[in-house]
Amino acid sequence: MSPVLLPDLPWEALLILLPLTGAAAGALWPPAARAIGLLTTAGGLLLLAGLGTAVADAQTLRHAVGGWGAPLGIELRADALSLVFLTATALVGLGVAVYADSYFERSQARGFWPLWLFLLGALNALFLSADLFNLYVTLELMGLAAVALTAFSGGRAALSGAMRYLLATLLGSLVYLLGVALLYHATGTLDFSLLTQRLEAGPAARTALGLMGAGLALKTALFPFHFWLPPAHSSAPAPVSALLSALVVKASFYILVRLWLELFAPLSGLEGAGTGEVLGWLGMAAILWGSWQALRQPRVKLLVAYSTVAQIGYLFLAFPLLTAAGLPDPAAWRAVLWLVLAHALAKAAMFLAAGNLLRFGGHDRIPDLDCVAQRLPLTVAAFALAGISIAGLPPTGGFIGKWLLLEAALLQGRWDLVAVMLLGGLLAAGYVFKVVGHFFTPAAAGHAARPVPAAMEWTALTLAILALLLGLAPAWLLPWLDLAVGPGPAEAVP
Amino acid sequence: MSLLQTGIDALLALGLVWLAWRALACPDLFRGIVLFIAFGLLMALAWVRLEAPDVALAEAAIGAGLTGALLLAALARLNRIAPAGTRADTREAWRNAPALLLVLAGAGLGLAVLSLLPEPAGLQAQVAAELGRSGVSNPVTAVLLNFRGYDTLLEVLVLLLALLAAWSLEAEPPRREAAPGPVLDLLLRLLLPVLVLAAAYLLWAGAHAPGGAFQAGAVLGAAGVLALLAGWRLQPHLTGLPLRLAIVIGPGGFLLVAWALLLTGRPLLEYPPALAGALILLIETLATLSIAATLAVLFQGSRPAAEPPA
Amino acid sequence: MSAAGFYALAGVALVVLGLYGLAVQAHLLRKLLAVNILGSGVFLVLVGLGGPADAGPDPVPHAMVITGIVVAVSATALGLVLMLKLTTTSGRPTLEDDAPREGPEA
Repeated sequence: MSPVLLPDLPWEALLILLPLTGAAAGALWPPAARAIGLLTTAGGLLLLAGLGTAVADAQTLRHAVGGWGAPLGIELRADALSLVFLTATALVGLGVAVYADSYFERSQARGFWPLWLFLLGALNALFLSADLFNLYVTLELMGLAAVALTAFSGGRAALSGAMRYLLATLLGSLVYLLGVALLYHATGTLDFSLLTQRLEAGPAARTALGLMGAGLALKTALFPFHFWLPPAHSSAPAPVSALLSALVVKASFYILVRLWLELFAPLSGLEGAGTGEVLGWLGMAAILWGSWQALRQPRVKLLVAYSTVAQIGYLFLAFPLLTAAGLPDPAAWRAVLWLVLAHALAKAAMFLAAGNLLRFGGHDRIPDLDCVAQRLPLTVAAFALAGISIAGLPPTGGFIGKWLLLEAALLQGRWDLVAVMLLGGLLAAGYVFKVVGHFFTPAAAGHAARPVPAAMEWTALTLAILALLLGLAPAWLLPWLDLAVGPGPAEAVP
Repeated sequence: MSLLQTGIDALLALGLVWLAWRALACPDLFRGIVLFIAFGLLMALAWVRLEAPDVALAEAAIGAGLTGALLLAALARLNRIAPAGTRADTREAWRNAPALLLVLAGAGLGLAVLSLLPEPAGLQAQVAAELGRSGVSNPVTAVLLNFRGYDTLLEVLVLLLALLAAWSLEAEPPRREAAPGPVLDLLLRLLLPVLVLAAAYLLWAGAHAPGGAFQAGAVLGAAGVLALLAGWRLQPHLTGLPLRLAIVIGPGGFLLVAWALLLTGRPLLEYPPALAGALILLIETLATLSIAATLAVLFQGSRPAAEPPA
Repeated sequence: MSAAGFYALAGVALVVLGLYGLAVQAHLLRKLLAVNILGSGVFLVLVGLGGPADAGPDPVPHAMVITGIVVAVSATALGLVLMLKLTTTSGRPTLEDDAPREGPEA
């Protein structure tokens, strides 16, 4: 497909080992933690480029860890679907790392870098794993790193949010593991491809679907399991909020998508369609409830956190959309992958911008924002651009994603989904412009302002611009997403 | 299977459920924790009955022993921070709402489990077929350190992460408790060599018999916990880099082995068959040290005092 | 029913108990106990279903449970530290006061 520019290296393994080794090295020698953290995060982008070229050539890469191969050993797998999530991780990760470098004080930063590298390694490992139990271990590594980062700055709200988050994430992983136990004993394997061949519809498969679906929905904060998200995401330090909302909730969603597209939806006799409908309803409820709550929030970070609850809802709207053969609709899934990328970039930009506002004024109460448009123009531009993408207005990445999803819903005559999407878009525009409006007005009481480092403003703006560019590059990127959904079961139908 | 054995299994299973219920429901938190430790020991017995001696050792040492020690230490600290906070009779308002739903879910789950019981699928045959090439003869160690060694690499990293997370929170300044009596000190001087020997045996035996790095590390960690209880503290010059090295060397050594193998052109964590046994022993020895150090430091609950100023 | 069946079903009961404890108990230490019991239940199902079969026990679930036990103790340790730190700042080892507020905060 493209000329090989890079040598043939085990990119998947390197993407996992590099950040985890960095984390261990940073723990061993804290004075070097910052350099290690920035270098390994940036290095991840290079490795990802290598993996991208390899996947473009081979479509699906498999790497038998330990040389054993499934079912005895664990296999890594890289294809276009994993690449979408890995790309979001690498881009947002690099932006947040640069931001965090200015955000944290020097003494605090030493503790931050190993935890961040653990999170990065866990995310990469998760997006590359093809083994159900290995996914459980990566989920726990990711969850504990995310909880630790949430509590990182201390403070009562952050600690309480982190504690609630810990309990929710542990519960979600254990319920998922119970489903894994059933699937293992039903098929004698933990490998995705082998499971696809061996799993038969029956009480075990049905219960496993229910358990894994519930556990992963809890970790993804799908309505009504979203109770833990707003306190955790709004109280964490701004760069951590960005990571949580942009990447961590997407990880459990990725596993759910894999399970759904490859394992459960094509399984005849499982009434998978019923589950898809339920997930779709919950998605619609999440859009309406999350957007409405966001509109009512008095603080920027809480508003952005509730906006995540709503935007997660959009991702679930593809589950009820099926082809004539009753299989997942590739067009709808292409839209969802687009939304994953667009939301990751835009939401990270919004949280980083919110962090700048907090740093600047010492608070993030929306009515008390004091003429920040003149004083922090880059931050305001970042928030507004990212907000336009979140609201799904042209010409942004969010617009393309929502347009594609709307098109898929219209083609199938799903007017309920269409109505909810349009209403959600209106509400989103409402809450974004509620904040943007206050950027330009003076507050009743002026207050002292702290300077915001340029790096913090520019990273927020860069991520927002990337979200915008995503809307201008569909012709270039859409073929990639075809790859991502292409080899799935939907295309296998004659 | 004899009637007696069936009876024992049924009683053990019922006992587990009863102890779990009491641990969660009894009003006094201290009793709840003690009941939880008893529950862990009963779990170890259940693992023995399920012919899982490796799990039984891990459960007794980590699940019951060290988790119990962590819980009791946390309760003692809680008593000092918020004396009124150790009453556990407070309950959420909607106490009875989910009960029916849970019973229904449990029934559905039970049915799914029953449907699988007649002929569960597994990997016994594959493990047995490749055991000869794994470098060890204990099948559980072969799975943990070779066939699914990647899981184990991530798992020792989880333990390191938990410690870093605890350190980043800096729970409270180190305790300055009264000096322990001579009895505890004497007991410790007698027990410590026994525990260290037991850990060394478990580590060595893991290759061919029940045991391994996690069990050995937990026993060694228990020795560390006892030493902490007896008032022993690390010399200040050892709490900086030397302590961090002890904590990182297990996961770090595992990662270095992974890098070395990758650099020789092999897939991730593929051991050359001739070296497999030696590499596994190396990884396990380093992991034992780190697991012990990590568990003992987690028990102490705070970063050792003489950490160089960050 | 085989002996392993008893344990697998006991595991299901433990899962239900753990879920109930997690939902109903307010004290964070008790919630952590509930998570541990829930985990033990999952582990029992994982191994109990494999049971001592004719071909001997399946070592793969054993290894998975050992991994699970280490993950559980790590999570518990982090949970306890969080609980202590939270109690120091708020005075109470519970989450109840700051239950998720859906409305605007005062």
